[in-house]
Amino acid sequence: MRKRFYLWVLFLSGLVLIAYISLTTYKEKTPEWKKHQAEYKELLIRNAKDEDIRKRAREMDIRLQQLYLGELNRIDRCISCHTGVENPLMADEKVPFKKHSGDYLKNHSVERFGCTVCHLGQGRAVNKKEAHGIGRETYWDYPITKLEFIQTSCALCHDLTFLKDKGGEKVVAGERLFRQKGCKGCHKLEGVGGVLGKSLDGIGSQPIAYFPMRYIKGEQTVAQWIREHEEEPRRVVSDSQMRVDVTPEEADFLTTYIMSLRAEEIPKKLRRLTGARLPDEIKDEGEALYKMYCIACHGSGKESVFDDAFKRTIPAITNPSFLRVADDKFIRENIEEGRAGTQMTAWKSAAAGLTEKQIEKIMRYTTKDRPKERPTQFGYSGYKVNVNKGEEIYASRCASCHGEYGEGGIGLNLRNPVVQNADPEMLAKTIRDGRESTLMVSFGSKDGGLNAQGIADVVAYIRTLSKKEYKLH
Amino acid sequence: MNGLKNSGIGRFTSNIIGLRDSFLKSFLREGKPTTDLSRTAVMANNFFLHVQGAKVHINTLRPGYTLGLGLISLYLLLITVVTGILLMIYYNPSIENAYNTVKDVNYVVFTGRLLRNMHKWGGEGMIISVILHMARVFYTNSYKKGREFNWIIGVALLILTFGINLSGYMLPWDQLSYWALVIVANIIQSPKEVTDVLGITKLFDIGTFSKELFLGGLNAGKEALTRVYLLHIMLLPLILFIFLGVHFWRIRKDGGLTKPEGFEIKDSDTRYISGQERKAEVFPANKTYGLMELVKAKTPAVNRDIENNVLSWPNLILAETAVFFFTLAVVMVYSFYINAPLRELANPLIPENPAKAPWYFLGLQELLSYSAFMGGVGLPGLALLGLALIPYLDREQQQIGVWFSGKRGKYIALESLVVGSVVLIGLLAIVIKYGWLRTWWPDIPQLFIILINPGNIWVGFMIIWSLFVIKRTDSTRMGAIALFTMFLLSYVILTYVGTELRGPNWAFYWSKSQWPLH
Repeated sequence: MRKRFYLWVLFLSGLVLIAYISLTTYKEKTPEWKKHQAEYKELLIRNAKDEDIRKRAREMDIRLQQLYLGELNRIDRCISCHTGVENPLMADEKVPFKKHSGDYLKNHSVERFGCTVCHLGQGRAVNKKEAHGIGRETYWDYPITKLEFIQTSCALCHDLTFLKDKGGEKVVAGERLFRQKGCKGCHKLEGVGGVLGKSLDGIGSQPIAYFPMRYIKGEQTVAQWIREHEEEPRRVVSDSQMRVDVTPEEADFLTTYIMSLRAEEIPKKLRRLTGARLPDEIKDEGEALYKMYCIACHGSGKESVFDDAFKRTIPAITNPSFLRVADDKFIRENIEEGRAGTQMTAWKSAAAGLTEKQIEKIMRYTTKDRPKERPTQFGYSGYKVNVNKGEEIYASRCASCHGEYGEGGIGLNLRNPVVQNADPEMLAKTIRDGRESTLMVSFGSKDGGLNAQGIADVVAYIRTLSKKEYKLH
Repeated sequence: MNGLKNSGIGRFTSNIIGLRDSFLKSFLREGKPTTDLSRTAVMANNFFLHVQGAKVHINTLRPGYTLGLGLISLYLLLITVVTGILLMIYYNPSIENAYNTVKDVNYVVFTGRLLRNMHKWGGEGMIISVILHMARVFYTNSYKKGREFNWIIGVALLILTFGINLSGYMLPWDQLSYWALVIVANIIQSPKEVTDVLGITKLFDIGTFSKELFLGGLNAGKEALTRVYLLHIMLLPLILFIFLGVHFWRIRKDGGLTKPEGFEIKDSDTRYISGQERKAEVFPANKTYGLMELVKAKTPAVNRDIENNVLSWPNLILAETAVFFFTLAVVMVYSFYINAPLRELANPLIPENPAKAPWYFLGLQELLSYSAFMGGVGLPGLALLGLALIPYLDREQQQIGVWFSGKRGKYIALESLVVGSVVLIGLLAIVIKYGWLRTWWPDIPQLFIILINPGNIWVGFMIIWSLFVIKRTDSTRMGAIALFTMFLLSYVILTYVGTELRGPNWAFYWSKSQWPLH
């Protein structure tokens, strides 16, 4: 070392180089898939039924296998490890040698469809970790679909009418839940739906980066995110207002369906969509529409509920005492225009996208329990009102629930245009009679403590609320 | 018998028999390098070796003087060229295929992953080795006596190294590439900040023009990828190799590397030269040859320093080969373990937050966060101009070839390092803790921010401090040492801050684990 510095540098570097060139060669010559294929070959020889098959098995080449799928514009190398996917002799072996389950491959030949079109994952990769793409460190947007959600892929090319008795129960159930849980009350899909939540168009093919994964307990995939978000929305997104109530099983179904909402990428000629719809899906009836768009917030509509996330009370819209005072015009206007300053969306076709006909049907459905007898007239126009007096009464009797400026709280927001433009007669009747099954008591009753003049004064004052300055805190 | 030997067939047969010898003789025209004459001839006659002298100064062979950095840079370049050509077999520069072909290199090309890693790390290693080489040349005072222009070429080579690395960073077309491309395009556009302030953007929008020229449009897309590819594999390397040729040629014409006046051979030098050297046969110790007249260098001159020159073959060649194998081994081992990053496919809809340039530009990006124009164009332009002018502003010819030009320089370098660290870190702490003008007076005109920002203040401090050092020591060389030390220091500190301490929205975080979710 002392004598010949450069010779030693040369010698030692040379040794290191030889060592690492050998290491690299070894590593490249023994990839993961080769081990699997070698084991597969052994299985083939062992499982061979007769000498002829055994002989052919012995001649099997161990080499990288890939499918070039021209129609789908992708390359799948999955069969380098999953070599036996089409081999009936491998039906009882373990993964990755196992034959594909069921008879799906009969109509979806591997040569034409490959693997990733249904299972997702990274078809080009040739090691398990990166091919399956689980975990953010693999930096792959579309990790392999867990088998519990695999029916998602069926719905990409097949109608639910076809799938419902051909192994697509979960996605069909998910679609039904999607309609009945009122998801579109907040989530727009194909141009129709509320705006409180994120639009669901193409959500199944959105990259992982769109979804904050920090509070996800399970695997970091989009499907898992959606499932956990359905179960506990505010754990996954702290300021979420999502009102959802699903069992774990229902969450599975829903997720399976929602993941099938993908931006189109499969060529038309491979798809089998006829546009046929499930029988209960066709029914564009009031009840179905109510469930699809209203039920998530209003529930049965019989009782008003204070919602922690909304920070306000959701009104009881099918409550008879409400229906008694609210006429069709008022309710239709509520649905069409929504309630500004609250979570209630404007549903007219220019906004959330419902047609006039549909709104009419929803209105008919919600008002079907309207009591026959009409409330006695209040005769608001007959009173000479004193706004200042009304303000005093409002401050002492109303502000605790409806807020100092009518901004709402436990009680409704009184500042929004629908209330402000409502018939004062109706407001007066509501104050006088109260609302059954809600916290709104009857102020005109014996215990209510307001006389008719007082009620008229308060109504007059309420109708000035929108002109008062109020800043959202 | 004799007749047969002289016949055509006979001569032909003996030609075949003597093929090996005659071929070798034609290849090595001077025979095997066993004598000093033939050793000299090897160096002089070989196309690849003749850019080096037949003799080499012992000082050049001391690893503690050059640290082999120039050679390492060259070798890293050669490694990236060879691996780059191999990668080009597979790579396809279109936004549809680029990402997939890089994936294929990783997954199915034999040793593809290693090749890509070596290409990547070799290239980024070049940045480090070129900067260190520049520091070595600076601190050993080797940019004087006819070498001034070669220093400028060196600065140009540094810029080209940055440019080639950056253009390569954009080729895989993953998220890193795409957003780096966006940032670079914005840097290129940054003169717009000044034209906006002057109100002449409508007449003379040089920023947007340059950006469009670079991207081939206003947004990063397929045109941009084609241009970047062209820059990476063709234009920039071509210029680089031309400049490299000039760089080497001038070293040769300047008489090899610098060496100190009054060089004395030490016992330890025997490690770096082979033993047979001392029995010189052709060149007596007291004689040199006349060609030296043509060379600009002062040494070696007749009867001076001759005994300290040894034959290049085998001494220099052995050293160079050893450094080559050393470099190759380091790159190979590093590449074996550390994979070059490859993120998700580029997606213009998902901005990385923070969107960061490659690490070697994060110092600039930090400056950029103060003022787009000053950080992107003004200050780096000033820094490069300053670097290029150093040999012309410091013309003291003493202590050439001595590390730090002696003890005083070492002290000044250390002092500047300490003072600079305190001032720069203090300045950054103020910016991070209290913000800057825009935080204090939100309505302040942008002109004030372009003129008064932490980057400018720091550069101003560097200049004032160097002038102060010149005044105090009465030496421009000392001032240059102070300035250059601070320049290196700010590159290191700013790069560290930009890489490690800046998180989403370019906010300050002590570590990545504190970044807010997502």
